[in-house]
Amino acid sequence: MILTAIALERAVVKRALQAEEDRLQLLIYSLLAAVDRNHAGLSITIADERLFESSLLTRNSGLYAMLYNNSNEQIWRSQSTLARFPDDFSIQSGEWQFNTPEFSGKPYFQLIFAIQWPNVNDKLERYNIVVWQEATEYFSQLERFRQTLWTWLIVTTLLLLIVMYFVMMWSLWPLKKVGLEVKAIEDRKQSGFEYSYPLEITPLTENLNILLSQEQYQRQRYRNAMDDLAHSLKTPLAVLSGLSDSDKNGVVDLKTLREQVNRMNQIVSYQLRKATNVAGAKINKPVNMVQIITKIVSALEKVYREKMVKVDSKLPAQIMIRMDESDCLEVVGNLLDNAFKYSAGRIAIIAAMLNENEMELRIEDDGRGLEQEEVQQILSRGTRLDQSSEGQGIGLAVVADIVRAYNIDMKFERSEFGGLRVKLIFQTV
Amino acid sequence: MRAIVIEDDLDIQGQIVERLKREGFAVDSADNGSEGLYLMQEYPCDVAIIDLGLPKMSGLEVIQTLRKQGNSIPILILTARGRWQDKVEGLDAGADDYLVKPFHHEEMMARLRVLIRRASGWSDSRILCSPVSLDTVTQRTYVQDRELDLTAFEYKVLEYLMLHAGEVISKTVLTEHLYDDDADNDSNVIEVFIRRLRQKLDPDESLQPIETLRGRGYRFTLARAEQP
Repeated sequence: MILTAIALERAVVKRALQAEEDRLQLLIYSLLAAVDRNHAGLSITIADERLFESSLLTRNSGLYAMLYNNSNEQIWRSQSTLARFPDDFSIQSGEWQFNTPEFSGKPYFQLIFAIQWPNVNDKLERYNIVVWQEATEYFSQLERFRQTLWTWLIVTTLLLLIVMYFVMMWSLWPLKKVGLEVKAIEDRKQSGFEYSYPLEITPLTENLNILLSQEQYQRQRYRNAMDDLAHSLKTPLAVLSGLSDSDKNGVVDLKTLREQVNRMNQIVSYQLRKATNVAGAKINKPVNMVQIITKIVSALEKVYREKMVKVDSKLPAQIMIRMDESDCLEVVGNLLDNAFKYSAGRIAIIAAMLNENEMELRIEDDGRGLEQEEVQQILSRGTRLDQSSEGQGIGLAVVADIVRAYNIDMKFERSEFGGLRVKLIFQTV
Repeated sequence: MRAIVIEDDLDIQGQIVERLKREGFAVDSADNGSEGLYLMQEYPCDVAIIDLGLPKMSGLEVIQTLRKQGNSIPILILTARGRWQDKVEGLDAGADDYLVKPFHHEEMMARLRVLIRRASGWSDSRILCSPVSLDTVTQRTYVQDRELDLTAFEYKVLEYLMLHAGEVISKTVLTEHLYDDDADNDSNVIEVFIRRLRQKLDPDESLQPIETLRGRGYRFTLARAEQP
């Protein structure tokens, strides 16, 4: 705003001065038209009767004109000129000089023009025509203009600043509200963002709410897992404690020791895996299950090389499922590891669409299979881990836990090869 | 057989080394990845046990470096993290098998024997170079149906020769793979064991199972048989 005002002021002043200079220039041209030889014929003069500017004929009108010869001697002046104006100027022939001097305490416009005129001997002689215009009124008007301009500028600027302040406060209010709600969440006064935010902020608060609920869910899972872990370990620890207390002449029952250590290992592995599964939280990025199956099969073919297991797979290029990659690896890894371990030489991995969004994945082997009782034990193993007997792996129990959390249907059947068939039915993306 | 154990937990390392020595292995050990890599690059070994979580250089980096250098020593990785992501990562890097801690030493020995046999092209625990058969699990040796009574070192020598049946094995190689560094290595002892093995395997000298190649070493001459 200030820059605009300064530029405007300068432009107005410049235009006004130019207008004055142009006007005085026209006056000088009219004086040139009135130039004539004097009576002696030795010099030139300006004929008053040829002047059309009446101010030059009125004394102290404020407009004055003079004619100087080459020696700066005044050879003519208008009738309006009573005072003796300064004549200390030097200017080349044909040049114009515009100044704004002060004289007798008043501001003036001064325009000087140097001409050459032939004398009686046809020799060119130089003369200066000088015009003085009193500029008091001009500068008063200019001052009034400046005052008006700057006054309105300051008022407008203040108004704009006030309006901008209120607009800013109004537009930033939702962000301030976010900050207040974050503080309330930290102080546990609320569990998420509750205020109804503008459309621009809504994606932020919605995603933050999802993040908060995932964090709360995970925190609860860890808490539950630690509780279950502590509870489950008490039994084998009690047995070990009993071993150390029993009086057997210092001989340790290694079989029991090993059993309880195995049991504790299984409990710790199971509960930690359960705690770190992400299942239940909102998963945005789907994973390609086929890539994971390929990776696991390649790894297991290396480990079980001697068994020379033949893997028949009928899979599409991709099976996209909304699942954490780590959880998917656990499910596929444990199921395939089981298949390789118990297979007699043949495994099949087959995927088929049941309908538009539902996929069935079958992993089957030609091993010994599972009895119904064993299936029930596996499916309930997680809740009964502290009561189960040692010697059984927990891989299938971990799988059962994970698929349950993702609402994936899992079934155990007898395979057509005679072994176990595990069926997973789930939604694809 | 010579094994290397790279494990930074000295208690676990000590237990593994002790068990391997009891099973007749010569053992080198290191407690960080850099030292382990150096030992594997400089000294021969038949199998490596590498922990994934090592200081100075991780187990994964050690394995990747060895494989890039063309080293195909069978590697068993130890991991405390039982997640499939970590197992797949280790196997992708070049390991041949994995064990999740805590593990039973019997399982470790069984997996090691499989890896050693696999590296020599044997898929079964029974090595058969008819009529001699050697069971790497029970450590029993037979000629036809006659069981041989071998000392621990005689067994080690015979096992090494049979695993590399048909190959020329120098005395130096036998010494490096069968003796610990701190043992009193005398190549003449090898000659004595070879002579005793010949007497036990082939008392009537009809089989000639072990050939001496002067200046080069020994070769087990009986052909590998297909597993029944």
